[in-house]
Amino acid sequence: MNTSEGGVSPVTLSQARAAYFWTNEENMGQRHKDEILYDHNHDGIDRRGFLKCMAWAGTGAFCVMQGGVLKSYSLSRLADLDPSEAKGELSFAQISDSHMGFNKAANPDVVATLKAAIEKINALPTAPEFLLHTGDISHLSKPEEFDTADQILKSSIAKDVFFVPGEHDVLGDDGKQYLERYGKHAKSAGWYSFDKKGVHFAGLVNVMNLKAGGLGSLGNEQLEWLEEDLKKLSASTPVVVFAHIPLWSVYPEWGWGTEDSAQALSYLKRFGSVTVLNGHIHQTMQKIEGNVTFHTAASTAFPQPQPGQAESPGPMKVPAEELRGFLGITEVNFVRGKQALAIVDAKLG
Amino acid sequence: MKGKKKVIVWIAPILAFSGLYAQAGKSANAGRKESGSGSEVKIDNFTFAPGTVTVSAGTTVHWVNRDDIPHTVVSDDKTTFKSKPLDTDQEFSYTFSKPGTYSYFCSIHPKMTAKVVVQ
Repeated sequence: MNTSEGGVSPVTLSQARAAYFWTNEENMGQRHKDEILYDHNHDGIDRRGFLKCMAWAGTGAFCVMQGGVLKSYSLSRLADLDPSEAKGELSFAQISDSHMGFNKAANPDVVATLKAAIEKINALPTAPEFLLHTGDISHLSKPEEFDTADQILKSSIAKDVFFVPGEHDVLGDDGKQYLERYGKHAKSAGWYSFDKKGVHFAGLVNVMNLKAGGLGSLGNEQLEWLEEDLKKLSASTPVVVFAHIPLWSVYPEWGWGTEDSAQALSYLKRFGSVTVLNGHIHQTMQKIEGNVTFHTAASTAFPQPQPGQAESPGPMKVPAEELRGFLGITEVNFVRGKQALAIVDAKLG
Repeated sequence: MKGKKKVIVWIAPILAFSGLYAQAGKSANAGRKESGSGSEVKIDNFTFAPGTVTVSAGTTVHWVNRDDIPHTVVSDDKTTFKSKPLDTDQEFSYTFSKPGTYSYFCSIHPKMTAKVVVQ
């Protein structure tokens, strides 16, 4: 993946703010943290710093806007950061698309790569408190596939794992098995929310009742629940929403989007910090729109082609020695007093 | 000498016949894939091929998944026919007794759509 293609040129602020960029470990150039503080318009928005930071984004750093102050983090730098800054108050990891049971050419050993992902998580400088699995835990919704995935996940340093289902987890039984295993505490088709250290998390299900020719779908019952669930929160509460299929329109031709996500996003508009974590597309992708950061994680099983770069979105075969470079995990840190969450992707090899 | 001639004489018609059968087999197959009037649908690369199959009432249509990802065959109304998840090389069949147009899709990857026209 070449970040210079998806990178950002510092042109206008609005362009930069809606920019798409790839986080890519191999292009990490910045080995220091910078804080930029220019407030010439006296409105608390650091435009020049923002543009400078967005230029760095092309090198693979992730820029965090924190109430007008910009901080950039690179993966390699993360280890050098002062513990009080890097540690933050809440640290968790996102993994996705483990597809336990898949055994075709693109990856004949998804057990090994999931184990490698857990090892990576266990070696993070800041131990994640819990994991978010954004779906496609299994490949064919078979009991032994769920069992094997659970066994491997248990070896992680994190105390808990929170799940949302992928379309591969609800095959043949409309999600009955998934709900029995992972959704006992959840509503209806498996959505739920919880709070950790002042951050509100909402796990959504957009892989049920899919219609012919359609995209992912949340449905009215879930949307009504979400609206109600968010109502009681103050606008300064950081919110993390996680679901399997992207909640923004990545590539509708391949079903990479959710029909009714706009409605869900409208309920999130008033919050100062919103992070949307998704999976499904088996590659990292990121977008910032206002106060909302959208992020998709890599798979721990196999990569898929970039939008439109192949006939279909199926498993993408790469040379065996390169496979782990296309798989990965994501670390997320929240620091008390800071607005946005810091998201850092790490490849498996 | 006599023996040799006999063998040659018998072999020739056998070769000619097998040649004819091979031709017949080939054209029948070609007809099924191009015109979509046969009763086989191949699933590969997130596509049902052929996308439209036209059959007469009472025909059984067979689907086979040649993709490296599982797919399903589900009628749009989700009740008329509904396969279990088909992994690579697994098959599904349904007999269409009533005329009509039956649109269907893959419930795992709903952008995959196709139809069966029953006459």
